[in-house]
Amino acid sequence: MFDLSFVWNGHSILFLILAVCIISGAVFMLNFSKIIHMVVSLAFTFIGLAGVYVLLEAEFVATVQILVYAGAISILMIFGIMMTKHDQLEEEPRIQWKGVFAAVGCLALFVAIFFAIRSTSFPTAPATGPLAEDNTLELGKQIFTAHVIPFELLSVLLTVAFIGAIVVAKHEDAEESEVVSSPSQKEAE
Amino acid sequence: MTELLQQALTWQNGLIFLGWAIVFLFIVLGFVTYAIYFERKVIGWMQFRHGPTRVGPLGLLQSVADVLKLLIKEDTIPQKADRTLFILAPIITFVPAFAVLAVIPYTPSLYFADLNVGLLYYAALSSLSTIGIILGGWASNNKYSLMGGMRSAAQMISYEIPLVISVVGVVMLSGGLSLNTIVEGQGNNFWEWNLLPQMIGFVVFMIAAVSELNRTPFDLPEAESELVAGYHVEYSGFRFAFFMLAEYVYVFAIASLTTVLFLGGWHPPLAILDFIPGLLWFMLKFVFVVFFLFWLRATMPRIRVDQLMSFGWKVLLPLALINIFVTAAYIELFLK
Repeated sequence: MFDLSFVWNGHSILFLILAVCIISGAVFMLNFSKIIHMVVSLAFTFIGLAGVYVLLEAEFVATVQILVYAGAISILMIFGIMMTKHDQLEEEPRIQWKGVFAAVGCLALFVAIFFAIRSTSFPTAPATGPLAEDNTLELGKQIFTAHVIPFELLSVLLTVAFIGAIVVAKHEDAEESEVVSSPSQKEAE
Repeated sequence: MTELLQQALTWQNGLIFLGWAIVFLFIVLGFVTYAIYFERKVIGWMQFRHGPTRVGPLGLLQSVADVLKLLIKEDTIPQKADRTLFILAPIITFVPAFAVLAVIPYTPSLYFADLNVGLLYYAALSSLSTIGIILGGWASNNKYSLMGGMRSAAQMISYEIPLVISVVGVVMLSGGLSLNTIVEGQGNNFWEWNLLPQMIGFVVFMIAAVSELNRTPFDLPEAESELVAGYHVEYSGFRFAFFMLAEYVYVFAIASLTTVLFLGGWHPPLAILDFIPGLLWFMLKFVFVVFFLFWLRATMPRIRVDQLMSFGWKVLLPLALINIFVTAAYIELFLK
């Protein structure tokens, strides 16, 4: 169970670098006080995750990770700029013993995950050549044959959310224009 | 190049890769220098002016002098600016611009990476530059630059969707996301290129591409008359040069991508012209696309913000979707 041997090759070194990027991005995200700094460190975490996907030869997932989350990052930034106050830095009331409880919790979580991973035997998939060759093709085949019903359900869900968002936005728009137009009507009366 | 890419990654090969990347960086820098010169010349001629004439013969050294001026200028950072992000923003903008060039095939043997998801890689990395632009706008602590950054983000996100959807038709016809596969799927005659079968896709792609480049008529993020200079108001010296460089490297990238996707890459326009090397054809088409971008800038006025958004969402996106349906119907009816 405690076989801690570590193979030093290009893969593992790259993995270590990416892991440091991901974790430090996440830690900085929690510790920064300005919202823009938080969002930038979150972006580093996402890009690091994309790097891990590339290491696992899942190029499609890696590019989609960057495409979707980088877009989300810029939108997050805009919301961060528009909807928060920049002048005040948040000051939370300090709870005593918080750090100790957090440390104990972290340690317990680490031990649980560590033992779970160490005691699981991972089945090695039969080698069918390099994965990166056409994993996009294989993904497409899987989605449109074996998993077509969940895929369609998901797209229906997204469409519903999209239409719902438009309806909500339209509704607010109408209310606002009423509010804006009402004083002028009173003046006219 | 193909053989080199298939060898194991040793220290020696890694150094060779690095060397090629540096050579390519200098080629791109040379392109940027003379693209700026030609842009000024072409626009000058179109407006009955001479353009730059003083520095060197025919003004050929004008851009070199401009770059030198930018490099030796004082590096100013506003006192109230967010120092770290102010320094980081031009780098975040430039790095993806150079990284997207890796997947573009210039000839059957001259390319830097044949990624299985080349097209998606391009779209994904180019969206990272938006982050740099917003950061630059925010970190300057200036309202004009912030507004420029926000406009840029809104514009780039809404035009990225038609840009990606408009090339889905090309992907369906060639059956692969790799840019090498897409070029190989096109033929040696101009009617076998993707240009004519994908006419709608091409028009949507060109409009969305110009918008992604933040060039006239879509240069709202740096509209001089309203926003002084947009997101880079506070930048000067070599940091400003980095923003400019990123913009022109994207011109290089988009012109190459258009050539690869729609204009047949290295294929000649007629089969009898096959004796001319492929790289030359690529460069000819590439130069034509670059000239087209300059031509647009010389002749089009800037469009309004509200027009920009409604045009992107109500015209380009439906057109791109219709293009997918028509292509799918065509493939089902005639190619099966």
